[in-house]
Amino acid sequence: MRHILLNVLAFFFIAYTSAQNVNLSGTVQDEGGMPIPGVNVIVKNTTKGSVTDFDGNFTISDVEIGSTLTFSYVGYVTYEVVIANGNDMAIVLQEDVAQLDEVVVIGYGTQTKKEITGAVSVVSNETIEKLKPTRIEQALQGQVAGVNITANSGSPGAGSTISIRGVSTNGDSRPLILVDGNVVEDLSVINPADIESMNILKDATAGIYGVRAANGVILITTKTGRKEMPLTIEYNGYMGFQQTTRKMPVLNATEYALIINEAYAAGGSTPPFSDVTNLGAGTDWQDEIFQTAPIQNHNISLRGGKEKSSYSYSGSFLTQDGIVGGKKSNFTRFTNQLTYNLDFFENFKFKSGVTLTRTNSKGLPENALGSVLFNALNIPPTLSVTDENGDYTLAEGVGAEVINPAAQISNTYNRNKIMKLYGFAGISYNFLKNFTAEANYQWNYSEVSSYSFSPIVFYGVGKVFNIDRNSVFEGFNIFRDYTFDGFVKYENTFNDEHKLNVLLATSVFKTTGVFAGRIGRDIRDNSLAFATVDEAREQENIYEELGRNPTFDARTLSYFTRVQYDYKGKYLFSAVVRRDGSTRFGPENKFGYFPSGSIGWVASDEDFLIDNNFFDLIKVRASYGILGNDRIGDYRFVSLLNGEGTYFFGGNNREDEYFGTASGPIANPEIKWEKQKTIDIGLDLRFWDNKIDITTDYFKKRTEDLLVSPAITGLLGTGAPPFVNAGVVENEGIEFAIGYSDNFSDNFKFSVKYNVTAIKNEVVEVSGDGEYLEGGGFGISQPAISRMEAGYPLGYFVGYKTDGIFQNQSEIDNAAVGEVAPQPGDFRFVDQNGDGVIDLDDRVNLGNPLPAATMGMNISFDYKNWDFAAYAFASLGNEIVRNYERNQQLVNKPNFYLNRWTGEGTSNTDPRVSIGPSANTVFSDFYVEDGSFVRLQNAQLGYTFSNKADSKFQKFRVYISGQNLFTLTEYSGYDPTAGTGAPIGGGIDQGFYPSAATYLLGVNLKF
Amino acid sequence: MKNLKQIYIVFIALVLITACSDDFVYVDSEDKNSEDYFNSEQDYQDALVAAYDYLQTTSRFVQWAEVASDNTLAGGESATDTPALQQIDDMIHSEVGQFGGGTLGQMWQWMYEAINRCNYIMEFQGKEDAIDFPNKTSVIAQTRFLRAYYNFILVKWWGDVPMIEDKRIRFGDQFEIDRTPKAEVYDLIERDLIFAAANLPYVQNETGRVTKGAAQALLGKVYLYQDKFTESASVLEDLINNGPHRLLTTAEYPNMFERDWENNIESVFEVQYSDVDGGSYDCFQCLEGNYAAFFNGPRGFVDSSGLFDAGYSFNVPVQEVVDAFEEGDIRLEYSILDIKKWIEDHPGSTYDETAGYEQTGYFNRKIMARKGDLNNPDAALTNPDNYRAIRYADVLLMAAEANRKKPTPDDIKAQYYLNQVRRRAFGEPLDATAPQIHDITSTGENLYNAILKERRVELVGEGHRFFDLVRTGRAAQEIDGFQSPKNELFPIPIEEILLTGNRWEQNPGY
Repeated sequence: MRHILLNVLAFFFIAYTSAQNVNLSGTVQDEGGMPIPGVNVIVKNTTKGSVTDFDGNFTISDVEIGSTLTFSYVGYVTYEVVIANGNDMAIVLQEDVAQLDEVVVIGYGTQTKKEITGAVSVVSNETIEKLKPTRIEQALQGQVAGVNITANSGSPGAGSTISIRGVSTNGDSRPLILVDGNVVEDLSVINPADIESMNILKDATAGIYGVRAANGVILITTKTGRKEMPLTIEYNGYMGFQQTTRKMPVLNATEYALIINEAYAAGGSTPPFSDVTNLGAGTDWQDEIFQTAPIQNHNISLRGGKEKSSYSYSGSFLTQDGIVGGKKSNFTRFTNQLTYNLDFFENFKFKSGVTLTRTNSKGLPENALGSVLFNALNIPPTLSVTDENGDYTLAEGVGAEVINPAAQISNTYNRNKIMKLYGFAGISYNFLKNFTAEANYQWNYSEVSSYSFSPIVFYGVGKVFNIDRNSVFEGFNIFRDYTFDGFVKYENTFNDEHKLNVLLATSVFKTTGVFAGRIGRDIRDNSLAFATVDEAREQENIYEELGRNPTFDARTLSYFTRVQYDYKGKYLFSAVVRRDGSTRFGPENKFGYFPSGSIGWVASDEDFLIDNNFFDLIKVRASYGILGNDRIGDYRFVSLLNGEGTYFFGGNNREDEYFGTASGPIANPEIKWEKQKTIDIGLDLRFWDNKIDITTDYFKKRTEDLLVSPAITGLLGTGAPPFVNAGVVENEGIEFAIGYSDNFSDNFKFSVKYNVTAIKNEVVEVSGDGEYLEGGGFGISQPAISRMEAGYPLGYFVGYKTDGIFQNQSEIDNAAVGEVAPQPGDFRFVDQNGDGVIDLDDRVNLGNPLPAATMGMNISFDYKNWDFAAYAFASLGNEIVRNYERNQQLVNKPNFYLNRWTGEGTSNTDPRVSIGPSANTVFSDFYVEDGSFVRLQNAQLGYTFSNKADSKFQKFRVYISGQNLFTLTEYSGYDPTAGTGAPIGGGIDQGFYPSAATYLLGVNLKF
Repeated sequence: MKNLKQIYIVFIALVLITACSDDFVYVDSEDKNSEDYFNSEQDYQDALVAAYDYLQTTSRFVQWAEVASDNTLAGGESATDTPALQQIDDMIHSEVGQFGGGTLGQMWQWMYEAINRCNYIMEFQGKEDAIDFPNKTSVIAQTRFLRAYYNFILVKWWGDVPMIEDKRIRFGDQFEIDRTPKAEVYDLIERDLIFAAANLPYVQNETGRVTKGAAQALLGKVYLYQDKFTESASVLEDLINNGPHRLLTTAEYPNMFERDWENNIESVFEVQYSDVDGGSYDCFQCLEGNYAAFFNGPRGFVDSSGLFDAGYSFNVPVQEVVDAFEEGDIRLEYSILDIKKWIEDHPGSTYDETAGYEQTGYFNRKIMARKGDLNNPDAALTNPDNYRAIRYADVLLMAAEANRKKPTPDDIKAQYYLNQVRRRAFGEPLDATAPQIHDITSTGENLYNAILKERRVELVGEGHRFFDLVRTGRAAQEIDGFQSPKNELFPIPIEEILLTGNRWEQNPGY
């Protein structure tokens, strides 16, 4: 601000002292020496101007000496220069790094960073380009304070759970995600390279989205062309490979045999291995399962514009094999995006875009009893992968679930194909000077076809995965939706002091779908070649046969208004009211009102601060609002006849099967919106010539009338429990983000950013006193271990606390014991209620899967032609349950059993081994581990070739990049970053597919 | 300029008009609304099928009741496999830990779903504008039998149980329903069965449908449980004299529990299972197969004879019940599988001897997975083996007991019915007038003891023993750890009491 004032003063000074005209020419380049085409060059306060050509050259004739030239271009700092003479000019524009006049999308409009009164974070395309995510969630992880991402799996194409400012519901806590205004639920179809920016609305600012806003809103804007832009062609691509980050230490064959023998002897049985001398190390099953897997990605884009129009095309291809299963867990994606914008008239504009995406993903069983990695950990190292005939070895004697994982991979055939076509079209019209009317239509169409073939297979006696009758499944689901937004805006400034902005809008959303699925049985020759439903001997149409309705139809209808006002840009005010109607709620509660408001004070513009030399910005913000959440199933307010009720008369064959009619989920006619009352107080600071940028927020979100699906009495039957508005959850926290960037010289630039979020989560109430909801399995047929209960964090683990190990019989005789009588070497559980018996009442809080704090850090510097960037994130204070030990007599074990109790005084932490009865396998703190970690997620080193005059390229850069390079953690499982994201039952590890370490070599070309 | 004006007028109009009316968000589901049903016979028939469906969940009751008795141990994989069942086996179960999957609470829930499905039909058939059709009485009679069948299970396991007649329990009602005294529950059961017996034929066109005989047999049993011996003897003898059933012969007996002999002439009421559909642990009540068949089998069993599948080693018979069989009783071989003997007799067979908890070497052969089914996944849950819920042998033994215990006992009749069952077991002619070697000739209390002993061996594995011991007051002397009267009923899960407003008294002793 001060600089501009000085410039203006200088301008007046010069304007009064000279009056001579010259013809000007010159070039505009970026800091890397690349010419920038399409830069607007304007003589200030006149209509005179020009645009740089393809080579960044411009000429302007008849410019008065002493006048000011402004060079502006999106993404660069606007540059002004006072004309002193007619010499050729060489202008270097600096890239705009988080400037105050940066435009931020806030939903149905934009504001500059300075004007914003809510907690809104932005992830720019530069961040995405550095991180090279295959899915866009990965670009959010650790980048934005308050946003936590949990990868559901390291399998290629697998999704993540996004939570914004904590988990506030046991139901669906996904944020609303809009891509160019289009509701997108499955982010796997989005090509991250097409994204211009992601704006995350974290507080009551999201209230503009009313009933769908409570979990936060992510607004994604895709790239498009610019007017007056010469055709620019870019190619970006990389190739590389992926490897597992970790192998879990398990017993080798000799250790295994000795410990199994000990366990048998302790259980009173004959040790099975009479001779252990020749066993050696045996098979390392993890080596057999993990592999180095290739990944490659190619993007090509064409962008350009004419005087009144702009266009863009972008195409991409990604293919990625898995580190487990290789091609059997491949993910491939093609995307094509086309945009076109046209100004019919100065005040009548049209924009449009269409995207076609195809994905093809394959997967293996993961994170479950009997999944591939679970098997690799549990199968005995004494077994070989194949027998002497080259057939896969049968995993006999190790229980019903553990099978040969190599055989399992080879017998898995499935794929899931998505064809998605989506787009938008919008027109806007300015009238009566201050009014704009805009209509936007966004639509999605997707076809999801899934296929799986289950061949006849025998893994060993009594295995649950044995298949005696082969089958093939073919599913075909169609999803359609549209969003129509229409609004009128009024924008005016009175007396140069009062700026008013009023929005009046309506939004209509409708989503429908049709499901189809068929099963074919008895496939000829048990062969993949004949494995289609059409060729199967027996065919079953799953929807037709049951007589169930295979369609859905859900809609919302909304009206809303927003008023934004500021006085001299110093005192900022914004208020929103939205009325939403949803088909998800019954006639009594169909409509809801959602008010929110925010205020801001730019203290640095006050007279007493405007002249300070240190602060560039001091802004205090506050917001409050009531947001809604309607993420429950359709028609839960009415009892429908879609339950299961099948019986057989006259025999038990297909033709004897009668499909009856029964009610489905239990209805609650009174369900209504979940209400989230959210408060945010924020402080934005910039100082030291904008080199340091701090954003800090305090927030408290109180979710009331929580839509929970509570535990209900059996009297109501087996229908899915109804949703009731019963529960309160609070998330309270602070966010702090600091950035420092400096250009030490033309050759050296440096920036570092750090953010931290601390959240305290507490369930205040769950449908009445003393009640809890539970979920999350452990072992086989053990009680659920995760709970949502008043006074505890959502999804905390409940189990026994251990107090060391019984060293001898007299310790046992003097202690409280449970149903299964302990022996020396077994856990001593704490008798919490002191009743002398260990039973379910002695279970206590053993931790929870929610991190107390998460943080992220980015460092980057450029030196001459070299650029380097690194990025790390961390999660502290979350617990993980280790649940990948099968506890059957002959399964393999983690190698910490080498430290087991073997006699008095040998161990007070690791219990004895025995195949006899013991309570050591019951869920206790022994199975709960600290899941805190710090991960170096990305490091990248690039070199940009200097631009030669005769070069064909505007830009030519090569780089090497490493992702997920190392992780500091004490967690003993594969990957502490993984999780199912389930609010109740999350953080239980049954052998997560670990996220791979990826090494890439890439190139960026611009023509 | 004129054009422009038009465009923007159209535009504004568009914005305002598209804002469709609120009707936009009033949409009906394409699934039928449960309040707008029963408009045709088909609707009634379809709702009835859904009421039958929950018979399939009763295999859990059969298995668990057997474990609760002195016949079998819980077994399973380990001491911590299905804790709720292990506790019942050891008679240390309580109101805690019996809610959710794999517990008594889930079984309680299944029975209420079943009864709600029956009452759904009863609620609407009784409405003023209910439609009429020729088969309506039959539909109602079948419905009432099913309701009685489910209510009988509830009252046996829990005593006084919450009940509403002819009305579904809907969300919100749970805070107002009290536990109905056992006598009132029995009263409804009797009324339902009398109606069913009066309105159903002895032979239905389709096997699996409820018959008059099934209703009479169950009514006789219900009377027996209330010590109404005269009424019991009367209805059972009506069935014996007029019904179509007979005992399988000694030669036929080995087939009794085999698949090809499902719904045989001795089977008075049979729960139908099928292997045509897949199933998963996520929804036990959705299964069409008999999970208990697989769960009762030996672990890692490879049977060279090709008859049996492997299993999960639950519900394993103890030596004492094996010893209860007399020498020469052909039933032992077909009731209890001696795994070591089987492997000896069928070379090449093996099983996993060290796997499984508290294994005895014996398995419940009557409900054990046979090979040869479709094995749709999950193969452990999709066995098609039916459960013979009421066999004619049971009817005869009940008739014997009722005749012995009625105020004016008829021991001759009692001996006759008892000896029919025994003669078949020992290969003696059923219709011989001369006394046979294994005939019971005692009277009075000795005869009574002989009848109860016969019930144990005839019906072992079929889930009757525990409640026979309870109703005859003999449980405490036979079952280790059984406390009387506490364990005569099972506890209502504490969660069930809390979730219905904390108004109910727990069963005594828990």
